[in-house]
Amino acid sequence: MLALLPRLRRFAIGLAGHPADGDDLCQMTIERALARRDQWQEGTRLDSWMYRIMRNIWIDESRARKRRSETFVDEEAGLSVGGDGGQEALVGLGDVDRAMAQLPQEQREAVLLVMVEGYSYKEAAEVVGCPVGTLNSRLVRGRDALLELLGGEA
Amino acid sequence: MSVTPDELAAFADGELSGADEARVMAAIAADPALARQVEAHRTLKARLASHFAPILEQPVPDRLTELLAGSSAGGGQGQVVDLAAARLEREGRRRLPAWGWVGGALAASLVAVLVFTVTRPGEEAGGAAYAGAQLASTLDSQLSAAQPSSAGTRILLSFRNREGEFCRAYSADDGSGIACRDQRGWRFEAQGTGAAGAQTDFRMAGSEAELLAAAQDMARGPALSAEEEKAASAAGWRD
Repeated sequence: MLALLPRLRRFAIGLAGHPADGDDLCQMTIERALARRDQWQEGTRLDSWMYRIMRNIWIDESRARKRRSETFVDEEAGLSVGGDGGQEALVGLGDVDRAMAQLPQEQREAVLLVMVEGYSYKEAAEVVGCPVGTLNSRLVRGRDALLELLGGEA
Repeated sequence: MSVTPDELAAFADGELSGADEARVMAAIAADPALARQVEAHRTLKARLASHFAPILEQPVPDRLTELLAGSSAGGGQGQVVDLAAARLEREGRRRLPAWGWVGGALAASLVAVLVFTVTRPGEEAGGAAYAGAQLASTLDSQLSAAQPSSAGTRILLSFRNREGEFCRAYSADDGSGIACRDQRGWRFEAQGTGAAGAQTDFRMAGSEAELLAAAQDMARGPALSAEEEKAASAAGWRD
C-alpha cells in the first residue's frame, strides 16, 4: 500500500483539484481501506480497490460539501501560506487545472483514470462501477471539453 | 470507410485491436484530418500526464505514511524512511510510471510527424549548438509549474540526463526541443524540425509527445518535481 501512495495522491489531487484537499482525501481513503482491509480480495488489484474507495469518498464529500458549502478540514492551508509556493502553483494555477475543474465530476474521473492513470476502459469502468459504454462516453465528452478549453494545439 | 469519433479516441488510447484497429489505422493513413484528431488526443494525454507526473515525485506527507507505519497492511515492507531512501536509490526508470505510455503510444503511432536530430557532445566534429540569449533566459528562469498561459515558450518538464546535467524540454511557436545545461550554456540535445510538405499542418500537435519520448530516452531518472526544479533554477542549473 505504501508503494501506491504517490499514485493515490496523484489521483486524489486530480479529483480534488487542490493539493491540500487531495491529501485529506488520500488520508480518508487510507483510513477506510485499513478499516475494511478484510474486504479486499487477494489476487485482485489493490490499486483499483483503493481508487474505488477514494472516488466513492470523494463523491460523498462533494455532495456534502455542496450542502454545507464548507471545505473539509484544511489543516495545512495555514501552514503553507508563504511557505512552499511550488506545490500550490503546481496544481493551483495551471490551464490544465482550470480546465479540469470545469468538467463534471464523472467526466473528470474518467479522464483521470484513463489518460493519467493509464487504466483500460474496462478497468476504469470497474473502478467507477459503471458499464464500459458509459465510461467511454464520459471520457469522450470530457476529452472533447478539454480539447475545447485548452484548444489551439490541435 | 467510416470511423466514429469514439473509435478514434479508443484507437488513441490503445483500446482497439485486430480488425477494428487495422480499419482505423487505414482510415487515418488515408485522411490527414483524422490523423490530426488522433494527434490531438495524444497531445492532450501527454499534457495531462506531464502535468500530474510531478506529484509522483513529491515526498508523500508524513501524516499519510504514518497511517500505514503502524499497520500490517504495509505487507512487512519495513521502515518508511528506508523505503523512501531505497526508492531514490533504485534505478531511475523504475520510477517513471508516468512515462510508460509515451513509448507505447508512439510505437503504435502511424503519424509520427517530427524528426528529431539528437546530437550528443563529442560525437560531432562541428561541436554542439547552444541556445540564444532569449531562449537561454527562459530556460534559466521559467518554472514549469508557474508559467503564464501566455508564455511564448512553454517548459514541458525538467530532468537530469545520464551525465547528470539538468535538461529542459520546451515548446515554442517557432520550434521546440530539449536543451541541457553545461558550463557554456544551454546545449541543444534535440530540436524539433518540422517535416516538410503536407505534414507541417500537424507539426505542433505531434511535437510534445515526441519531445517527451525523446526526454524519456535521455533521462537518468524521473522528471524534476516542482520543488526540485525551483531549487535547480535557484542554483543556476549547475551542481
